[in-house]
Amino acid sequence: MARNKIYLEEVFPSPFMQLWLIFRKTPVAMAGFSCFIFLIILSIFSPLLAPYSPIEGQLDMLLLPPAWHSDGNVSYLLGTDELGRDMLSRLMYGTSLTFGLSFVVVIISSVVGVIIGSLSALTTGMKSSFLNHFLDVILSIPSLLLAIIIVAILGPGISNTVWAVVMVLIPQFVHITRYAVKEEFRKDYVLASRLDGASPVRILYYSIFPNIVDRIMSQATMAQSAAILDIATLGFLGLGAQIPMPEWGATLANGLDLFYIAPWTVYLPGLAILFSVVSTNLVGEGIRHALKLRKEG
Amino acid sequence: MLIFTLRRLSLFVFTMLLLTMLSFSLSFLFPGDAVINLSGAINVTPAQLIELKARYHTDSNIIWQYIIYLKHIISGDLGLSMASQSVISHEIMNLLPATIELSLVALFIAMFIGIPLGFIAAIRHNKLSDNIILSVSMIGYSIPVFWLGLLAILIFSINLGWFPSAGQISLLFEIELVTGIQFIDILLSDSPYKWQAFRDATAHIVLPAFVIAIAPTTIFIRLSRTSMIEVLQTSYIRAASAKGLSFKQIIFRHAIRNALIKIIRHVGLQFASLVTIAMVTEVIFSWPGIGRWLIVSIAQRDYTAIQNGLLVLSCFIFVVHILTDFIYAALNPLARDKKYGT
Repeated sequence: MARNKIYLEEVFPSPFMQLWLIFRKTPVAMAGFSCFIFLIILSIFSPLLAPYSPIEGQLDMLLLPPAWHSDGNVSYLLGTDELGRDMLSRLMYGTSLTFGLSFVVVIISSVVGVIIGSLSALTTGMKSSFLNHFLDVILSIPSLLLAIIIVAILGPGISNTVWAVVMVLIPQFVHITRYAVKEEFRKDYVLASRLDGASPVRILYYSIFPNIVDRIMSQATMAQSAAILDIATLGFLGLGAQIPMPEWGATLANGLDLFYIAPWTVYLPGLAILFSVVSTNLVGEGIRHALKLRKEG
Repeated sequence: MLIFTLRRLSLFVFTMLLLTMLSFSLSFLFPGDAVINLSGAINVTPAQLIELKARYHTDSNIIWQYIIYLKHIISGDLGLSMASQSVISHEIMNLLPATIELSLVALFIAMFIGIPLGFIAAIRHNKLSDNIILSVSMIGYSIPVFWLGLLAILIFSINLGWFPSAGQISLLFEIELVTGIQFIDILLSDSPYKWQAFRDATAHIVLPAFVIAIAPTTIFIRLSRTSMIEVLQTSYIRAASAKGLSFKQIIFRHAIRNALIKIIRHVGLQFASLVTIAMVTEVIFSWPGIGRWLIVSIAQRDYTAIQNGLLVLSCFIFVVHILTDFIYAALNPLARDKKYGT
């Protein structure tokens, strides 16, 4: 019998792997995670997967109800809107706008926020105190209000919305990174590597980041659900994505006039937003739950 | 308490200065001439423009201009709306009370539903009812508010016909504007149909208030759940149960009071997000409040209105913030000694 392992070696998984091992055991979190992956795939490949164009309409297929309705047509699975555009294709393209853009937004703002946050954790004294107060004021303003303010300055449009949401989310990441890095810096293992002569940047990169990445990820899921809701809300208010774009909030606002005749043009985009936010939140809850279990265990 | 008050007042003055500075710089950030953005006078003759420039002292340096701007704000001169050429301070005085009324009603609904539910979840921690309350609350804060508002209109006003779908009160009732808060105005008026009007106004506020309240309710559930769980683990609760008090007595006499105090601290922060939700909801329910006015102004690029609307709205949020801080400090002596920013 072949033995692959001759020596009994004790394996210590990295903090991130430990978290994943616990995370994997919660079925609800895994369900949310698979929905999340599904949405990411959809937002990348929607141009290949979608059956019709999201912008061009068929004029003989106006306001077709979804396929399960008695007047529905199975080639237009989720019905069409008032210009004969296929709802399914619009929603699929919308995934890359609402969900995909919010994902990109969170990545940009987390990178910027983590850099600023870890640099500011290394500073002390007057600069640090000023930053703390400044962050307190910014964090007390709700993200949507701040996004509306920034869009008001920059002017309506999808790219301005994205920048506004990026700017709104950065302070949260700065705050959480700063706090986490400061907390880790007080621990003994950091002291050990400092006594070995490691520079602060090296400590930050090799010792601290592996230990705080899970907290940043938990913040990232919260930021993502806020970003989805903010982008969709701005789109709904007509401040975000402009008219022919299939962004979910804008699609919903577009169906508003025909709400009573064609309710599916309103409830389908809403369900899509709800689905993406719920799956993001499930992932976030799973991470937080796993963090708590890891701390206790 | 005096030192606490002084510290809060200095924070208030500092933040007000920051906010006005931001609002002042907005007039330069927005496209167009800064003086026209500040005053909102778009159709001026060259002679009037020179007069305006003299009024805002555009020739002097920027700090002096800012001081002049502050003087204008303090005297209540917020300029004219670019879109309608009406006086902005009057419009805001008419609109702000409606928003205050709506958000206060929503806040109370959220507190009255959310806090008891959170307590129940905490008492039955890790049991079925806890899990049900938690999962429902997660759906609650994931729902986009505009969609929820539309569904509420579809179900309760169109299909069931229980509540009106738009506005603050039916146009049949003539209520004189005194305070701007509809319910107080109705009670003050001497109309013979006072009580019908009152009932009508109540029916109008139910749907938007509940729609706004959903998300804050779920936040209150989580806040009160965590604070109750914390309180139940303290040693004074164990001491109380060692004394032989029944579970009911422990909860009602000791736990609830201590848990409530922790929640009150968060009310100010929650109010800020509630006002944002209210802005969106006002658009859907055509509520004549400042949020809808502001969003319409952004769409119309009415820069003077945006600038002043933001200033007033953020001042309002900040005042509420400070007020809840005071209430919290008055209720909890422990909080008064805490240094800010340590």
